[in-house]
Amino acid sequence: MRQLAIYGKGGIGKSTVSANLAASFAESGLKTWYIGCDPKSDGSMTLLKGKQIPTFLEQMKDGEETNTVEGFAGIKCVETGGPLAGVGCAGRGIIVAVQELSKHHFQQDDDILIYDVPGDVVCGGFAAPVREKYANEVYIVTSGEYLALYAANNIARGMANLNVTLGGIICNSRDISDEKHIVEEFARRIGTHLIGFIPRDGVVRDCENHGMTVIEGAPDHKQAEAYRQLGRNILENTNLTIPSPMDPEDIRTMLREMQR
Amino acid sequence: MNDILHPRPNPIIAAMYTLRDLDADVVLMHGPAGCGFMASRRLEEAGVHVMTTGMRESDLIFGAEEKLVRILRDIDDRFNPGLIGVVGTCASMIIGENLDGAIKKADVQATVLPIDIHGCSGPNTTGAIAVLDAAASYGLITQHERDRQKMLLEKATLIEKERGLTSKSYLKPHPGTTKLSAAQAIVGTLRKGGKISVVLNAKKETAYGFADIMRAVEHARSVVGGEVHYIGNLDDKVGLPRIRRYASNILRDLDDANVIIESITGGLDEYAVSGKKAAEALKQCDADLRIIAGLPHTVPDLSKNDVLVTDQARQIRNYLEKGFTIAVGELSTHADVMSTHTVLRSELGETIRQVADGGLA
Ligand SMILES: Nc1ncnc2c1ncn2[C@@H]1O[C@H](COP(=O)(O)OP(=O)(O)OP(=O)(O)O)[C@@H](O)[C@H]1O
Ligand SMILES: [Mg+2]
Repeated sequence: MRQLAIYGKGGIGKSTVSANLAASFAESGLKTWYIGCDPKSDGSMTLLKGKQIPTFLEQMKDGEETNTVEGFAGIKCVETGGPLAGVGCAGRGIIVAVQELSKHHFQQDDDILIYDVPGDVVCGGFAAPVREKYANEVYIVTSGEYLALYAANNIARGMANLNVTLGGIICNSRDISDEKHIVEEFARRIGTHLIGFIPRDGVVRDCENHGMTVIEGAPDHKQAEAYRQLGRNILENTNLTIPSPMDPEDIRTMLREMQR
Repeated sequence: MNDILHPRPNPIIAAMYTLRDLDADVVLMHGPAGCGFMASRRLEEAGVHVMTTGMRESDLIFGAEEKLVRILRDIDDRFNPGLIGVVGTCASMIIGENLDGAIKKADVQATVLPIDIHGCSGPNTTGAIAVLDAAASYGLITQHERDRQKMLLEKATLIEKERGLTSKSYLKPHPGTTKLSAAQAIVGTLRKGGKISVVLNAKKETAYGFADIMRAVEHARSVVGGEVHYIGNLDDKVGLPRIRRYASNILRDLDDANVIIESITGGLDEYAVSGKKAAEALKQCDADLRIIAGLPHTVPDLSKNDVLVTDQARQIRNYLEKGFTIAVGELSTHADVMSTHTVLRSELGETIRQVADGGLA
């Protein structure tokens, strides 16, 4: 069983990448899980025709048995859920939900798990999915912009500290010039590689507005093919490394050099 | 929601005691100084070293993994322990400390069990089960022993909920009915040539205190006559080595006092199931007066004029509220027994002796 965790700056496209990846795996016949770890519980909606599902932590709180919901192509969808903004402890929620999942839900014959990790939780809950026994393969989503790279670098530092292996960097394009090269170079410098490039395209939002991934809503679009290619690259990936983060100042220097 | 308001043990405390049962040399609390403090004192009396990582505000903010690693290494160097249990607390577990990861990083000589629980993890037995799980996965106990104890603990949790401390929303401590009235009822019955049965159904080390009642009743019988039957969960062939040791020490001391247990109902960790066997033995005896010591509510089908003896003041309130008329408190039992290897004199026991010897009218 492959256990992936998707990290990246807030709003960079983690949930979109995660859901489309899950959809591409599932359509090729793999038994796939999408596990949204964000208290705002928005990541699975494109796998569920725009519906929101009862969250895991709500079910646990009410003493119910925890249930998962099947989405597009049989993907098992989970939203861990969590407290409203400003109360409780979202990080603890992720820890508890991830433990409950691994204890009671995953099965021997599951092929691939994808944890969609929130960009804004930085406490112990942030690392819960990459604890031993859970995910062992991290992918960081970034664009070629400084702040996205800066965040990616910070995450790489966290992973290095936790001794977690990185599978690669996913570039979710923001239409920056020479973006692919920038992200490729960044990946190289932190000791990993670019595993896939996702162009920026309005079809993503069109499909999102219908409560669908691109894989489901526009299966023949070249954007769908980009997600599928990313999925194949990940499935074939054997290049897992513990990253060595950059000095943030060097990221700026790198960007300046590449602009010339 | 049925909120339970009175204070009671939580999984952290149960984990500490279960580590003691495993003969752990060190229990390291990963949390603030003072967490589990009262329990620590008692466990130290039983020979366990309890230590703390003494987490502070900055540890909550930045995490305390390095501190835990450093302290584990320090403990390993200074005390050379064979077995350490690292017990989670509310503070460390809420911020997501990775006990297992820190233990691997520390890489010390001692065997170190990560006990991933905290105060809000559920009923106190959750903590005991977590220790058993860790012990089984490190090969310190067999899977079979782990399963046996887990079943017993779950049964105990259920009994508490049905008939014990968690069956009521609030229980105010009660000191117990007088020892003198209980002793007079006991000696009076014997003097008339009556039949008494004494049940010991006690939890682990507390039996060192309650077993004295058997010695005292046997003494009274030898002085004033009558007939006594003894029933007890004193099987010294089940459970962890430490618990068996308790049972065989107690059997030895009872033997010295001419107490013969005619019905052994189970081991000292089996109080949650041995109560049922005790009830059957009681029925067989059909005595004029019945004494049940330890955790009387774990014995089904008691009658309202049985003599109940226990060590917790809230449990006594519970019994009296349920309509029992004689509920005696041996309130210092738990504190007294922690470091003993012999049966201790109990207050009720002493009162029975005094009444039997004619010291009281
Ligand atoms: N390749 C793309 N082309 C066009 N729009 C995109 C692309 N990827 C993501 N988006 C849009 O960007 C927005 C944010 O994406 P998404 O919710 O996936 O980000 P996120 O990293 O999960 O955010 P958060 O940190 O809040 O969880 C969405 O509205 C999505 O439709
Ligand atoms: Mg998201």
